Amino acid sequence: MDILGTIIHGLNLAAIYGLMAIGISILWSSVGMINMAHGATFAVSGYAAWIVAGAAKPLIAAAFGKTLMAKLAMAGVTVGAGTLAGALFGAIIYLLAFLPIHDKPNFAVRSLIVTLAINLATVQILLWFFGPRQRGLPKLFGFGKFEILGVPIRYDQAGAILSTAIILGLVLFWLRVSRKGLEIRAMMQNPEGAVLSGISVRWTALPVTMLTGALAGLAAILLSQTIFVSPTAGALPLIKGLTIALLGGLGSVPGAVAGAVVIGFLEATVGALPFLGQRYVLFAQFLFIITVLIIRPRGLGGLLDETRE
Amino acid sequence: MPEVLSITGLTAGYGPLRVLHEIDFNVEEGERVGLVGLNGHGKTTLFRAVSHLVGWQSGSIKLNGEEIGGTRSLGPGRRTSGIVRKGLAMTPQGDAIFPGLTVRQHLDCGAYSRLAWRERRRRRDTVMDIFPPLRKLEDALVGKLSGGERRMVSVGRALMVEASLYLVDEPSLGLAPKISASVIEALFSLPTEGRAMVIAEQNVALLTGRVDRMIGMHAGRLRGDVGHVGLE
Repeated sequence: MDILGTIIHGLNLAAIYGLMAIGISILWSSVGMINMAHGATFAVSGYAAWIVAGAAKPLIAAAFGKTLMAKLAMAGVTVGAGTLAGALFGAIIYLLAFLPIHDKPNFAVRSLIVTLAINLATVQILLWFFGPRQRGLPKLFGFGKFEILGVPIRYDQAGAILSTAIILGLVLFWLRVSRKGLEIRAMMQNPEGAVLSGISVRWTALPVTMLTGALAGLAAILLSQTIFVSPTAGALPLIKGLTIALLGGLGSVPGAVAGAVVIGFLEATVGALPFLGQRYVLFAQFLFIITVLIIRPRGLGGLLDETRE
Repeated sequence: MPEVLSITGLTAGYGPLRVLHEIDFNVEEGERVGLVGLNGHGKTTLFRAVSHLVGWQSGSIKLNGEEIGGTRSLGPGRRTSGIVRKGLAMTPQGDAIFPGLTVRQHLDCGAYSRLAWRERRRRRDTVMDIFPPLRKLEDALVGKLSGGERRMVSVGRALMVEASLYLVDEPSLGLAPKISASVIEALFSLPTEGRAMVIAEQNVALLTGRVDRMIGMHAGRLRGDVGHVGLE
């Protein structure tokens, strides 16, 4: 087993799952909604990026030829289309699954059902429009690999890890310093205290759903560097994201980051072990998560939390 | 003096349960009112009805002459942020605490509405003059503070905004007598012009002689004086 290669692979997976899990976690703790449509956001963003990239290709080729500029423009267009589509789909989820029912009793269960319905419907609509064929996205980071300390790293792996770290860093920084961020964090920690401070749940929920949607869109673009875009492509990232969010202790952003790293490494390790292999990955992950939740019901977030309720 | 809060015929409760029965209650500008009564007789529910954290079945609540409720059934909490922006500052029972924010950020949340955000520094300074112990704790996480410090943060959050009506629910609850006295002292040090304050308390002695009038609450109804509510 190639240990260093496995570590890189684990980090790569952690980056993508982390983007999904943090979105689910933030949305749960601030808006009180388990977003089962996160997988649909993932798939829709992938398709949006594929369409826009396809349409922009001739234009970019005409403008820049085969220069580095063309590659950069292509990457920008793909990432931009994916994240924008994710944010817009987040806004649709807000309109359908939050606004009409958020002040009704049992909002958490109702929104779970509505978002699950959105997820199933969206997958069917995508199948209807695009068929089950898989589509490839342009390679953002190009082909090839480089070596650090003798470990070969593919460009797309390095790109996914770096861009996730940068984007997540920016999002967390924004949550920490901006007025909107303070608003969202106040709502995550105490919804009643937040409304008593004059913070409107309805107006805060919209940027949160759009932000988490954009993160899912980015995850879709990054994962599509390794696998293809398909209508059901969001299912597995959704499951991984949900379980990681649970493992991290739903609602804890540091917990979700830690959970993503742990699950990413677990997947890479189990997949690389000769006597286990890929087919035991999900089994091992769920076994691990169940064990952790039995021992630490608040998940990893409980360990990281330094304050008391 | 103009009326800041004017409640007529308010009936409210949780689902089918009626807790408040036909309440009529007025508070004028500049007034400090003590609302006293035993546990479970509706003080908190009255406050929560005014801030729309509890839905109400009938009656009317006016803040500065403006109807803030209506009778259409909306989920509880839906109007709260709007009411707060119209001039309500409330400190709920057991403190509204954001455990993961620092004291400074926590106070800033109180200045969230209207133009207050721009002058949050000055306002924070004023609150820290009222509660001097908070000055040293500015960068501490609220979740790590003691009960008394949390109460100061919670009350301080409500004082960050220029409200016309302050509702303070049991400021002495669970605090050592000395600390609760200092919290009450701080509340009474606020100037009364342009604002009114209602303090719900079980500890009548803390309010005696310091509020303009005291109203007893018993079984979801207001009683004109304190003698009827079994606290003395």
